[in-house]
Amino acid sequence: MDQEMQDFAAEARRFLDAHATKAPDRAAVTWGVGDDSMAYFSSLPPEEEAEEVRRARAWQRTRHENGFGWITGPPEYGGRGLTPVHDLLYDAVESEYAVPDTGVLGVVGLGMIGPTILAHAQPHIKECWLPAMYRGDAIACQLFSEPGAGSDLASVATRAVREGAEWVLDGQKVWTSVAQHSEIGIALTRTDPDAPKHRGITAFLVPMDAPGVEVRPLRQMTGGADFNEVFLTDVRIPDDHRLGEVDGGWTVALTTLMNERNTVGSEGAGPVAAALSPEHLSALMRATWTWDDRALRGRLAELLVDAMATGYLNDRAQRTLRAGIAPGPERSVSKLMYGQNLTRAAHFVSDCLGPRIIADTGQWGTYAWSELLLATPALRILGGTEEIMKNILAERVLGLPKEPVTTAAKEVRS
Amino acid sequence: MTAEVSELRELRASVREFLEAKSPEEAVRKLMESEPRFDLDVWAQAADQLRLPGLAIPEEYGGDGFGPVELGVVMEEMGRALLCSPFFATVVLAAQALLASGDSDACARHLPGIASGRTTATLAVAEDSGSWDPALISARAVPDGDGGWRLNGRKCFVIDGTTADLILVVARTVAGPSFFAVDRTAPGVTAVAMETLDATRAMARLTFDSVAATPVGAEGSGGRIMARVLDMASVGLAAEQAGGARRCLEMSAEYARTRHQFGRPIGSFQAVKHKCADMLVQVELAEASAREAARLADEGAADFPVAAAVAHACCSRAYMFAAMENIQVHGGIGFTWEHPAHLYFRRAKSSQLLFGGPAVYHERLLDRLGI
Repeated sequence: MDQEMQDFAAEARRFLDAHATKAPDRAAVTWGVGDDSMAYFSSLPPEEEAEEVRRARAWQRTRHENGFGWITGPPEYGGRGLTPVHDLLYDAVESEYAVPDTGVLGVVGLGMIGPTILAHAQPHIKECWLPAMYRGDAIACQLFSEPGAGSDLASVATRAVREGAEWVLDGQKVWTSVAQHSEIGIALTRTDPDAPKHRGITAFLVPMDAPGVEVRPLRQMTGGADFNEVFLTDVRIPDDHRLGEVDGGWTVALTTLMNERNTVGSEGAGPVAAALSPEHLSALMRATWTWDDRALRGRLAELLVDAMATGYLNDRAQRTLRAGIAPGPERSVSKLMYGQNLTRAAHFVSDCLGPRIIADTGQWGTYAWSELLLATPALRILGGTEEIMKNILAERVLGLPKEPVTTAAKEVRS
Repeated sequence: MTAEVSELRELRASVREFLEAKSPEEAVRKLMESEPRFDLDVWAQAADQLRLPGLAIPEEYGGDGFGPVELGVVMEEMGRALLCSPFFATVVLAAQALLASGDSDACARHLPGIASGRTTATLAVAEDSGSWDPALISARAVPDGDGGWRLNGRKCFVIDGTTADLILVVARTVAGPSFFAVDRTAPGVTAVAMETLDATRAMARLTFDSVAATPVGAEGSGGRIMARVLDMASVGLAAEQAGGARRCLEMSAEYARTRHQFGRPIGSFQAVKHKCADMLVQVELAEASAREAARLADEGAADFPVAAAVAHACCSRAYMFAAMENIQVHGGIGFTWEHPAHLYFRRAKSSQLLFGGPAVYHERLLDRLGI
């Protein structure tokens, strides 16, 4: 690592030493001690969740005031003007500290929406929203998916009709993470129903407090409500809130989706680290008297091989990036493996626990795993389903041809 | 010593170019039915032109002093090309055993010959069960009363066992498992070729009848040396497996792009496309784990044994998967003798089980993790 990087890392360390404490090793476990929550999705009561969001905003503000809020952003909008490598380096240093989880701001808003606004919004919109977002004042969400358009985003049907200097939006969005906390959202709308489906889409920046925007929580199988349905009824948006060209929204969507690939698939901390930690899993085998079970030991080994090999893949991708070389297909591979590793871990643990995962005995570290178990199906869907990820790998890395769209499929879609 | 990224790329390119010229499929097919099962001229050229046998042998013993990372690059390329050669047995097994023994006399006696390509060598560990567990070794060595040792017993699965000049044998003594050097032409040594699943890797059954043997390393240190050799050998093998798996993926992707059925390339059908994507995932994990393990070995990192066990398991599975799916993507043609897919399938299965197989290496991983 060169001198400039070392200085940057040292500066980050000084900042974190002053404002945070070192993180405890969540992978190391003393059975029966500490928090045994294995929740992947939040299942907090509303007041606690509001408190978490408040802490996330406050930590983002602290980062921003110290020059780590938007490391890659342009200085005119409050960024630091450094490289993605600096960003990664900061993340690596910060991961050694116990800091509030800023996922509510970061995963969608700062990771995906911020770069999209930067690339496609008018200057006064950028000035208005970008500093606010990276200061933690404005949370952003992605109003892309619809009940009729899952992975096939180009099928969005929410209408936007021009009325003078305004647009009127009508339709329904779904699977919208963090909408209940958001100040703004980016909506994909259909502005030309007669054009080929990729060509008739326009993107808008929607203030979430605009009249006609209604957010309804969508309860998921874990019991919590991380996603929302968002209803847009006669929502009036000024034309200067349009992102990109009229009917040119697909380009805007691609910017967001490209950045999505960069945020999904990194190894998480917390319960995720515990679920794939050799120490934690072996402690669980002792606690459940399955230590000697040969079949389970074989499965544990297979699980750890996958988890550790995925870790090696990520380590190498990071090193390549630090050396200034563009990463290869590692991220899509990691994303696929991430969902599969956690799924396999949850089922391995369930089989160690036996009946203790079907009803709560009150024992530490047993029924708690049901929370992770119920989250695993979503991990293979969110951020692009497994099938979509495999298509991307096969088409972009291996150069396999796209599936031709048949006449029948065209009729169904139109 | 570790080469820079650009030097590694150069090494890979020159080894690949050499192997494309010297080990095309026809050459492999001819050699796998020959005795010896390698081309003496090609081996001499690999030594003289590319200095491959000495690549990872320290300079004090006549080598070029590179490390596991460079060795891994060479093994990946050899795995791609299914090269029939004494490289694995000589350089990865025997030379690593000599180095792991810490016996500088034995190293000085044997390594320069290995480094120059003049001496081929092998390691004789497993017996009828095929196990590498030191507790299951029954071959015995006893002092002959004149300061020497005599070796008795039988070894199986000895790679290049009918041709290697030097055989390192693990045998039981009163102090425990120990290493001995044996000259293959010594009186009392009988070598019989075994019929093998993978015909590109020759194996033999060796019988030792009161054979003169020289101790390598301290008496009773065999278990420790074997643990080290197994780590190094499984990383070398992992690289070879990753290279073979990558080649299977390339063959499948190429075929899926060009072969038409029902009026379109078969790679446009999602079922075929996803098979190829699954292969790619396995190959990426295999390469990452093999290369990372080699890097950690090079650094002498404390977690190298864990990484070696992960690489061994990950690459064994990846290669087997890629070799199987490669046949499926090719359909009937992939099942014919004339198609190379079965050569990779055979190598993949044989390599997966070479050091004991999944049940054994899974337990080894858990053991190295303290579980």
